[in-house]
Amino acid sequence: MEAQIDRREGPQVKSAGTASRPRTNAARPSRPEESGLLDRVSARDVHAFEELYRIYQPRLARFLNNLVSRPQIVEEVLDDTMMAVWQTAGSFRGASKPSTWIFAIAYRKALKARARWPEPVAEPVVDTRVSDEPAPDDGLHHQHLHDALLGAMEGLSPDHRAVVDLTYFHSLGYREIAEIMGCPVDTVKTRMFHARRRLKDALGGGLDDWL
Amino acid sequence: MAVPIRPDDDAHAQAEELLPWYSTGQLDETDRALVEKHLASCVACQRELRFDHRMVDELQSLDPQVESGWSRLRGRIAQDDRGTSRMPALSGAWRILRQPAVATLAAAQLAFVVIAGGVFLTLSRPDYQTLGGSVQPAAGNVIVIFRADATQKDILDALHASGASLVGGPTTADAYLLRVSPERRAAALASLQADDDVQMAQPIDEARP
Repeated sequence: MEAQIDRREGPQVKSAGTASRPRTNAARPSRPEESGLLDRVSARDVHAFEELYRIYQPRLARFLNNLVSRPQIVEEVLDDTMMAVWQTAGSFRGASKPSTWIFAIAYRKALKARARWPEPVAEPVVDTRVSDEPAPDDGLHHQHLHDALLGAMEGLSPDHRAVVDLTYFHSLGYREIAEIMGCPVDTVKTRMFHARRRLKDALGGGLDDWL
Repeated sequence: MAVPIRPDDDAHAQAEELLPWYSTGQLDETDRALVEKHLASCVACQRELRFDHRMVDELQSLDPQVESGWSRLRGRIAQDDRGTSRMPALSGAWRILRQPAVATLAAAQLAFVVIAGGVFLTLSRPDYQTLGGSVQPAAGNVIVIFRADATQKDILDALHASGASLVGGPTTADAYLLRVSPERRAAALASLQADDDVQMAQPIDEARP
């Protein structure tokens, strides 16, 4: 299973006590087997499609949750994306990774869904920044930091949130993200830069503890 | 007075924006070397990298609902299979459409055909007709190519949204001929051209003054 194998070659540098390490994720870049699954899906092999679905359902659900807020729309867009994979797998020619192809379909469908069902007006942003005052309880303090981070994620625009999640959770490179979102790589880097700044601001005085 | 940018500042900015992908091992060799060279001497970026690592850790939780989702989608596949078996003509056309074709080649081919002026004559006499052969098919006035990964539903949505009806196709270039009423011509074209599932939509008649 994919969750048991990590083939990425991570950076090995150690600098001033900071060892960079690739993180173990629940979702990883496409492996060669996924291309094989797509071949079988193009021949209408339901078992191959189920295998592909079980790999991608959690990844797409998470990705789409960042783009559309209504759960029923997430579900609908996810199903429509996988139906597109089922019906058009033969058009996948391997020019990109299977994951890039599938996420790009999902992104386009999410944009169309957002156009059909505009997002509800957002509540005024609550200041979730963490106080500089030490919390009486360490566990509680960590929970506050976690909540502040989640609150800050909610406050990001859908596209900024998607870039953050595709990077940190789905472990996609900036070029793949640009391909999925149909934008220049510099736009991806800029979105990430501003998103990180917002997230760090949300942690405020608790950032040092968090790190 | 403008502050001159020092080479160190430039290297810092470049390395800093790459750190998220460095932390997940997603940089190529050139980018990785750039980051590592800078990281060795930049305390601020070392701290940024710790932030990236924490972000990866924090964003792991997920509550997938795979089983119920698969059950739902399995039902749609069964419907899809029944649907295609009830519509052999459409199914056959769909299989033709799904055959690999290089999109740019298709677009170039289409552009050539349009310029040559032969497309209208060819497509206004589609190879297949439906619902009775004695009925003269409506003349098409818009030619469209859908994205290779557009589904039947996507195509139907695009047709409904634009108010266009399908007259013929697919051609060998995976193009379809559509008919839109002269009154709705501009709006229909705008709708098709704005649709993410449409790769190209062009009129093949003259706009009415």
